[in-house]
Amino acid sequence: MRISPETSQILLNALNASDRAEQAALQQMSTGKRVNQASDDPAAAAMEVDIAAQMDGCDQYLRSIGSLSSELQTTDSSLNSVVTALQRAITLGTEGANGTMSSQDRETLAEEVKGIAQQVLGVANLSYNGHYVFAGTADAEPPYVADDNGNITYQGNDAVNTVEVETGQSVAVNQPGSALFSATGANVFQALNNLVTEMQDPSATTDDIGNATTAVRTAYDQLNSARSFYGSTLDQLQSSQDFLNSEQVQLSSQQDSTIGADLNTAAANLTSAEEARNAAVQAAASMNGMTLMDYISPATA
Amino acid sequence: MSGLIGTMWIALSGLAAQQAGLAATTNNVANLNTPGYSRQRPVLEEADPILQGNLDFGDGVQVQGIASVRSDLLTLQVADETQQQGSSQAYTNAMNQVETLFPDDTTGIGAEISGFFQSLNNLSTNPSDLTQRQAVLTAAGNMANAFQTSANQLTQIRGQLDLNVQQQVGQVNQLTQQIATINTKLAAVSSAGQQYSSLLDQRDSLIQQLSGIVDVSQINDGTSLTLTTKQGAALVVDGSAYSLTTQPDSSGTERIYSAQGADITSQISGGALGGIVQARDQDVPALEAQLDSLASGMVTALNTANAMGTDLNGNPGGNLFLPVTGAGAASAMKVAITDPRLLAAGSDGTSGSNGNIANLSAVANQAVSNGLTPSGAYGNIVFQVGMNVSNGTAELYASKAMLQQLQQQQSSVSGVSLDEEASNLLLYQRAYQAAAEAVTAVNQMLQTAINMGAGA
Repeated sequence: MRISPETSQILLNALNASDRAEQAALQQMSTGKRVNQASDDPAAAAMEVDIAAQMDGCDQYLRSIGSLSSELQTTDSSLNSVVTALQRAITLGTEGANGTMSSQDRETLAEEVKGIAQQVLGVANLSYNGHYVFAGTADAEPPYVADDNGNITYQGNDAVNTVEVETGQSVAVNQPGSALFSATGANVFQALNNLVTEMQDPSATTDDIGNATTAVRTAYDQLNSARSFYGSTLDQLQSSQDFLNSEQVQLSSQQDSTIGADLNTAAANLTSAEEARNAAVQAAASMNGMTLMDYISPATA
Repeated sequence: MSGLIGTMWIALSGLAAQQAGLAATTNNVANLNTPGYSRQRPVLEEADPILQGNLDFGDGVQVQGIASVRSDLLTLQVADETQQQGSSQAYTNAMNQVETLFPDDTTGIGAEISGFFQSLNNLSTNPSDLTQRQAVLTAAGNMANAFQTSANQLTQIRGQLDLNVQQQVGQVNQLTQQIATINTKLAAVSSAGQQYSSLLDQRDSLIQQLSGIVDVSQINDGTSLTLTTKQGAALVVDGSAYSLTTQPDSSGTERIYSAQGADITSQISGGALGGIVQARDQDVPALEAQLDSLASGMVTALNTANAMGTDLNGNPGGNLFLPVTGAGAASAMKVAITDPRLLAAGSDGTSGSNGNIANLSAVANQAVSNGLTPSGAYGNIVFQVGMNVSNGTAELYASKAMLQQLQQQQSSVSGVSLDEEASNLLLYQRAYQAAAEAVTAVNQMLQTAINMGAGA
């Protein structure tokens, strides 16, 4: 059979093919990705869309956990100071219930309890990032307001916000004041107010003061147990954070196996593409040498 | 036997034959790099013998003509494969542009959808914060922009393809005109009994160019040539060319009409036109439909979710996006509110409630388009484009390889080999020398014969 004399096209095709392979290998090595366009592997590219969305989700959950944690920690430590103050109020009440106290002494104790009540009110109206943390969801205004008679009433609501911190998993992120400071039968302000009133009342008996102190203790117990919400929520956030961190690792390894390039293979492909190219170029150099025409010299004529 | 004079004529016919061979070889070498050139060789034939009694004497050589060495079958196969390649090439070029509109990574619609849901989750930690509310509206705007940009680019690509259709049709008409002109010339020269292989070469080359643009079917009975599209719309009949025309339809899409006025747009299956029409009328619109469905699905779901909640003023939520449905939804996607207070994050009318963010966020996991979640539906679009491009590319490389093979085969039949021409050159040269020697010998013998008379 007659051999095609047009060798240049074969050569060009070979060079094109090795160029293409070289380019693909180079792209894989420079991006570290096997799938650089959807057409490189359509199914993997579609999976990558999903993985990227999940990774974005993880990042965001972690950001939310971060800002929630600092809010909850601030809140919790503020409540801690309330706990200490209420313990002091109970001590003061117990002292005041002692029969040897003069009314003058009791007046002094009452003044200190008043101060404690003010301090607790300050915490109960704690604002964080522009919202009042103990107001339920009516958090634009201070939740505890004193009326004309000095009675402190709750203006907030009982609503609780939840925030999604893992896919499909939400945590409650606030405790309304009505559960902490002004629970029915365990109202901190009322209890402190009563204690002050009893201690300032010369006709009050030690039993009266003792009962008022017990009421403060009841309110204290309620606040203390309701406050455990913050600790357990922070624990929950921590465990979500741990989960999300390992999820991120998992997702990025999934991403790597879906669209990541095997750099060893890519390097090997690059080398063999370069070799193929060199071989083709060398073949070209030797092929375009001589034809029979070169040997027809004037001497043969 | 014809005598010395007759022998002289035989020697002269040899000289002529070798000259013809030399001319063919020289022409081959001259056209070494001419695209579409088929090598030529002299067609030599023994001259009719002269009978004398029982003996017949050869009477030299006759040059019948110069013939091109060509394979009509291969030429047809090359034309067919050229149609396939032209189609894949044009299609792949178009879809490659589309592919860049739908990245799978940290840019584009997918990333903006994620960004929007991220901003919602962020807002849920502090729902009354105006900055974070604004961030949600901004993210919503970015998402709408991403949809708009992709949709508008798709429209633009279709517009380019429309322009392409017009240009290619113009090219077709030019080529068919040239082919018809050659047909006319061929008819003239062949009736005059002249050589016309170079015209055939030119015509083959033109038909091949035409095959790169449109699916051509040829009927060639040796004397007349008819070119039609595969579906039978006439392009060239002998010396007449039939021009295709384009005409925009009601949506502005350029349709292709045959010379008889029939809309043949959807019939064109090969050549660049076939690929362009496939991308423009099938695959790009399919992606546009998916994009519109995703956009309108999300808009509807997010508006429904927003309406379930209350805004920062305590009022029920309105539309978050301008309501859009059906075709053009993606390009019309737009955030309906500018005041961040109107985002209905709450569920109870209080400013601090984030109760409705759960409903808004839930859209991320709702079936909004063809039973798929937003990121699932976007992933599906990415998959679709990826498949289109990778199939197109695979076809392109396959047809390129096939075409190369066929062209090699064709060249092995018709290509000019310098080695071969060199040896032919020597052969004709030597034969010419030999014939010339014969002339000399006969001449001397004639001289001898004349001297014979003079000496007597």
